[in-house]
Amino acid sequence: MRDSLSKGIFRLPLNSTLKLGKSWPAPQNASKIRRIEIYRYDPESGENPRLDRFEIDADRCGPMVLDALIAIKSEIDSTLTFRRSCREGVCGSCSMNIDGHNTLACTKAMDDCRELIKIYPLPHLPVVKDLVVDMTHFYAQYASIKPWIETQTPPPADRERLQGKNERGRLNGLYECILCACCSTSCPSYWWNGERYLGPATLLQAYRWIADSRDETAGERLNELEDPFKLYRCHTIMNCTDTCPKGLNPAKAIADIKKLLIERQK
Amino acid sequence: MNFQSPLARARGLGSVRAGSHHWWRQRVSAVALFPLTLWFGFSLSLLPQANYAMLTHWVSSPWNTLLLLSFILLSLFHGVLGLQTVIEDYVHTDWIKIIGILGVKLVTAFLALASSLAVLRIVLLGGHG
Ligand code: SF4
Ligand code: SF4
Ligand code: FES
Repeated sequence: MRDSLSKGIFRLPLNSTLKLGKSWPAPQNASKIRRIEIYRYDPESGENPRLDRFEIDADRCGPMVLDALIAIKSEIDSTLTFRRSCREGVCGSCSMNIDGHNTLACTKAMDDCRELIKIYPLPHLPVVKDLVVDMTHFYAQYASIKPWIETQTPPPADRERLQGKNERGRLNGLYECILCACCSTSCPSYWWNGERYLGPATLLQAYRWIADSRDETAGERLNELEDPFKLYRCHTIMNCTDTCPKGLNPAKAIADIKKLLIERQK
Repeated sequence: MNFQSPLARARGLGSVRAGSHHWWRQRVSAVALFPLTLWFGFSLSLLPQANYAMLTHWVSSPWNTLLLLSFILLSLFHGVLGLQTVIEDYVHTDWIKIIGILGVKLVTAFLALASSLAVLRIVLLGGHG
């Protein structure tokens, strides 16, 4: 009984125990060696996750962490699995935990990392394989805030819906979000209550549509957000703002939503 | 098998349209507690070697009674809001959560009654009742 208690409640599940895995030495005649440690896990294999160590020649690959990952995949171990697409910080697919911070592998320079570069998947999401996590719930939460303009007024017959310079300005610092999930997966509240708490990324997006002068449903959007779990699990811990690779401030967007909810009562 | 769509799961039972009051009360009580705590600390520091008579006398002066009661009740109020937040954050078993929040509220209400009664006894009966 005591054994099962200590295993079930006070210890991590068995498949969270990390083991040291393979080590791949640097290629001969390497001129600038970088050591990289990568989390490897294949849930279907039935084996525990492991940490593989790679040594690469930084002089023979690009400067970013993503360049190193691509070099490893094409030259050392082709089974290494990760997501990437744009390799310039606009698609949001290469988000992972590098050197202790959630960030984009394609915009994180190896020179800005510690001597041993540690790479893990985004925290607290189910791992599909290696650095690829299951983002289904994250995307569903994003869809739940209706990320599009909702209106009652039909669009003008001869033009698009207009927006003034100031009105457009209000979207700055919001529209740039690439939904990489770095912020949400760095948020302790999202770790503990992610089933119901929407998390900083989705809340920043929710505010983006509330702030859009062309949208006509700010009130309904606020109604949907006013909830102890969907919104008020945010305790202004600021991890989100600290980690956002696009330099955005989700914590402020959340504070603005809370402000509007008080403001509309006066 | 679970065939519910991810969106249905994310939406859950929808928004309960509450939470703003709780949040706002937490902020306002924190702000109000700031001067009250300063006053309380300052007053205590002026009474380093107070005996029973001096203390009951201090409690009985009208301003002190008023501020002391405000301080006690507001601290308990602020405390109960905070504890509720902590329970909601960390307790994920529904029945423990419900009993926990109810329990905290009842115990705090009892403490509020008990401490008010203690202060009022000193004020009305001079502490000798
Ligand atoms: S706010 Fe920043 S960290 Fe969060 S999803 Fe958007 S771009 Fe990524
Ligand atoms: S400010 Fe809110 S959303 Fe951001 S990390 Fe903290 S609790 Fe999470
Ligand atoms: S590959 Fe697109 S953001 Fe990194």
